[in-house]
Amino acid sequence: MKISYNWLKNYIDLDLVEHSPEVLQEVLPLLGFDIEEIEKLGPPQLSNVVVGQVLEYGQHPDADRLRCCKVSTGNEGEVHDIVCGAKNFNQGDKVMVALPGAVLPGDFKIKASKLRGQPSAGMMCSAKELQIGQDHDGIMILDQDTALGTPVNDLYTDGDTVLNLEITPNRVDVLSHIGVARELAAKFGLEVNYPEVKASTENPAIGDPLISVVEVSAPEVCPHYTAVSIKGVKVGPSPKWLKDAIEATGQRSINNVVDVTNYVLHETCQPLHAFDAAKIQGKKLVVRMATEGEPITTLDDVERKLTANMAVIADAERPLVVAGVMGSVDAEVDESTTDIVLEAAYFAPTSVRATARKLGLSSDSSYRFERGVDPKGVTYASLRAVDLILEVAGGTVDGNLIEEGAEPPTISEVNLYPERVRTFIGFDISDAEMQSVLESLGLGVSIHDEADGTTRWEVAIPSYRQDLQRDVDLIEEIIRVYGTDKIPESEVVARGIGTEDHRIYTVNEAVANYLTGQNFNEAFLYSLRDPEETQFFFGEESHKVLALDNPLQSDQSHLRPSLIPGLLDVLKLNAARGTGATRFFERGHVYREVKGQMVELVSVSFVIVADQITREWRQREVADFFTAKTISGEILDIAGTAASKLTFKPIEDCKLWQAGHSAEAGEFAKMGFQATCGLLNIATLKERWDITTPVIAGSILMTPKFFERKAKRGRHTGVSNQPASAKDLALIVDQSVHAGDVEKDVAKFAKKATQGFNCESVRIFDVYEGEGLPEGKKSLAVTMSFRAADRTLKDKEVNSAFDGIQKLIADKTDYQIRK
Amino acid sequence: MQEQLTAIVAGVRENAPKVQTRAEFEAYKATISGPKGALTDVMKGMGKVPKEEKPAMGKAINEAKTAVTAEFDAVLERIEAAELAAKLGPAIDPSLPSPDSARGTLHPISQVREEMVELFRRIGFSVAEATEVETEHYCFDALNIPSDHPARDMQDSYYLPDDLQVNNVSKEGDEKYLLRTHTSTVQIRTMLKEKPPIRIVAPGRCFRRDTPDATHSANFHQIEGLYVDKDVTLLDLKATLDHFVKTIFGPKAKTRLRPSFFPFTEPSFEMDFFSPDLGKLSNKWLEIMGCGMVDPEVFKAVGIDPEVYTGYAFGMGIERIAMILQGVDDIRYYYQNDVRFLKQFA
Repeated sequence: MKISYNWLKNYIDLDLVEHSPEVLQEVLPLLGFDIEEIEKLGPPQLSNVVVGQVLEYGQHPDADRLRCCKVSTGNEGEVHDIVCGAKNFNQGDKVMVALPGAVLPGDFKIKASKLRGQPSAGMMCSAKELQIGQDHDGIMILDQDTALGTPVNDLYTDGDTVLNLEITPNRVDVLSHIGVARELAAKFGLEVNYPEVKASTENPAIGDPLISVVEVSAPEVCPHYTAVSIKGVKVGPSPKWLKDAIEATGQRSINNVVDVTNYVLHETCQPLHAFDAAKIQGKKLVVRMATEGEPITTLDDVERKLTANMAVIADAERPLVVAGVMGSVDAEVDESTTDIVLEAAYFAPTSVRATARKLGLSSDSSYRFERGVDPKGVTYASLRAVDLILEVAGGTVDGNLIEEGAEPPTISEVNLYPERVRTFIGFDISDAEMQSVLESLGLGVSIHDEADGTTRWEVAIPSYRQDLQRDVDLIEEIIRVYGTDKIPESEVVARGIGTEDHRIYTVNEAVANYLTGQNFNEAFLYSLRDPEETQFFFGEESHKVLALDNPLQSDQSHLRPSLIPGLLDVLKLNAARGTGATRFFERGHVYREVKGQMVELVSVSFVIVADQITREWRQREVADFFTAKTISGEILDIAGTAASKLTFKPIEDCKLWQAGHSAEAGEFAKMGFQATCGLLNIATLKERWDITTPVIAGSILMTPKFFERKAKRGRHTGVSNQPASAKDLALIVDQSVHAGDVEKDVAKFAKKATQGFNCESVRIFDVYEGEGLPEGKKSLAVTMSFRAADRTLKDKEVNSAFDGIQKLIADKTDYQIRK
Repeated sequence: MQEQLTAIVAGVRENAPKVQTRAEFEAYKATISGPKGALTDVMKGMGKVPKEEKPAMGKAINEAKTAVTAEFDAVLERIEAAELAAKLGPAIDPSLPSPDSARGTLHPISQVREEMVELFRRIGFSVAEATEVETEHYCFDALNIPSDHPARDMQDSYYLPDDLQVNNVSKEGDEKYLLRTHTSTVQIRTMLKEKPPIRIVAPGRCFRRDTPDATHSANFHQIEGLYVDKDVTLLDLKATLDHFVKTIFGPKAKTRLRPSFFPFTEPSFEMDFFSPDLGKLSNKWLEIMGCGMVDPEVFKAVGIDPEVYTGYAFGMGIERIAMILQGVDDIRYYYQNDVRFLKQFA
């Protein structure tokens, strides 16, 4: 919303306070109207800068370059002492004088002071200092006949400042110059000077309206419609003041009549429309719903097809205006127009919004109607426009103002309890201060002392402030105008509540600490990925389920099912840039398809370049599957699942992982977690990322529900200080048998065969295949550790347990014990 | 006998220094003090020594033994030292670079997020989480953003198709799913689940359908704060946010609350701050967050009585704070993950 400083001053006497565009720049944002942009048009607005005359001057006693001058600005007997550094003036010259209180461009405040010991109450200015011209070789010397005391802006009138305000959607009333003036009046304690209206709704003496009927067949869209007729206007260019005002708001001046409607819109916030009466067919206006597909060519010269839920203003034949949005070229006021019909109406916000959105057409009118203009402001705006049209285009009003429907109801009163206000804000503002703020905003306060001793205020709400419906809305008004800068500073009071952090956060925090400690760098990637990638890795079903309804870019149309592709992008970028980084991880949410539905999962993934990509004087072992297995296990351990309980199954055929060199444990859909780790598919990496080094990776998926598990607190079970006794066993098994299964079997048998003491651990410590073993077999060496809680174990009892284990193996499995 | 002893000691003194390995040492030691060793033999002869000579002889043997043991100890010490040296290898050159990769770094956004979360945890906030996929109800309606509010335009949010079902995100009715546009959704989910007092911060990823540029990214991160209790006041809100700004941006930072509008708070403010120590951004008001007192309509939507409880809420972009703190002028750097960039902020 562009507000012209000059225009604004029509409604508020800013000269009564210290004012300048710069002051407003400070004040308006703190009232809730942020300034997007400030435009300077012509010379700036300056107060206390007036024409003066140098009565006499002399050398400054203590400074060669300065002169001490006596300057008159017209007030009899009042002489200003001014010390001046310029020498281009003579006695009797007329000059521009900035008196104390003036604020020159660049926020240069003029104050009465002393310069090198001599009093100086003002400054004689150069053209540049006043931003009137570029000259700054000396002060401005004016024509001798310039009247003393004339303000600079009266001599140089073209100056204006346009403030482009950001108006929040609740404050439609401030989308107008009067609205801004009201706010400033409240802040500065000034009066708002509303333009006086001379026109009347009733003019029976002067003939009949130019149209005979207004019919409203869509009262829900248009509860109140008015039309007034003006005959004999002379359409032409607007006078300078009108043209300047229209252009200051960023519009193009069209002609005097159209400009007046736009002027009143920017003045009062009420949109208006002027019809060329000659072009209204059948002498009637109808407010009705459009017929489906009805065509209209709007003023922006676009032919549009309307739909049945859009309202129009039509004549007997065709639509002339998309109600509340934009007029058509068919009834446009142009040079040939002599008679006009002026519409002012209230259109329902939701209807205008829906229509404007559907047509993709936003106008100054629709912008205001869809936010809800003053329900009682229609007639005033109409008459104000009549006044201005008669002033700038001539003509006479014909007949009465035609009115259909009535002003929509408004909220008129809101209860406010001053004591509750103080409780709510937490600091003290007196009743009187609150009342004064409300009244400054034009809200009436009537005070009621209730039976229970409380004080209740009935606050009268003006029709243009329909955003004020509840006590909190009024509290906002009080704080806003009272000044947020007056809210006291205080200490943080933090009463303990004792809620725990969500485990998703704490687990993620611990995982990140672990992984950075394992030399991984954290990456952040986009959640939206290329659909082709989703389909390639996760298939058609996922491709369908993970699609956005309204993607912005075709290569970011799908939610990511995995963090790994993004991390490969990171490896690729770092390799291309030669950064030498080999380890990255990401924590983030991913999305998977399960039985045609989407699930959101918490994920952690990591990648490691399993190759020496930098030359080192000493080589370290590169990462392999077991590196990834350890890290994945640790992550799940941090998340609350014992790593020892994971059973990894090899991955067979997969586009992301290398078959035979990667494995998977858990299943998120059933167990709440899933870990996949190992070598990424060599061919895929080469083909899609041009990565030729092997990459080891891990991907952990966890459902949000998984984090709701309560962690169990450990209990002390006693630790034996007796010596342990170890037994080793070599088992020959088929090559396809998994060591993990063998280990589990042996552990199970050991538990069974050991009585009176414990088998503390069973662990595979060697794998052998090759010479000395039959084809297709391998040998697994298992070590078992036995211990009693209370005594040193005797060989005999350990041997007996060991025999028992071997017997169970022989009886229950195909494993062959290697003697 | 005395001569024998003298000879043994002399022999040991001569030969022991020549012994090189532990095995040689054990073998040599056996020839002296082993069961059939020379010194052992002499000691065995003590029985035949006349009684009056025994004290002198005993003394001589002891002296010889002490001398031999000392020699042997010295040899052993020398051998052990040699063994250790062999085991350790040559002395290191401590100036060689470590061949291990350096400790990894948290992403700069994570660093700032953690700093902020820690700050709020110290003043009694705990961390809440919710999903990124949300529904229109939790993202808009429950936050008093009506269906014709501009924030709900298809242009601003990423929606999911109408027929999609999301297994673990609950709907209120048959509204559409979307990607949350702000972390304020966590306010709603939390207030539906927990009873006041509630004091949470919720950091998380959000999505807006913006064309990416230096300050817009398809996804970004916010941190949301919410405090609901009896008698939470505007004064508390200001105190908390002032504390936040002064902790993050230094004690010289000044703040101001600029009245604004959000459907879910009333009164609503934008908080601006001003700092002399921000390089190019010094000495101007910078907008950093929206905040306000929880709107009674929001309380009604989650079944909290606005006559009994009041609350404040605030929300800010983590990238925005990070960019100010870290002097980053293009948000896209954060999503490229060049390790040289990532490592600049630890």
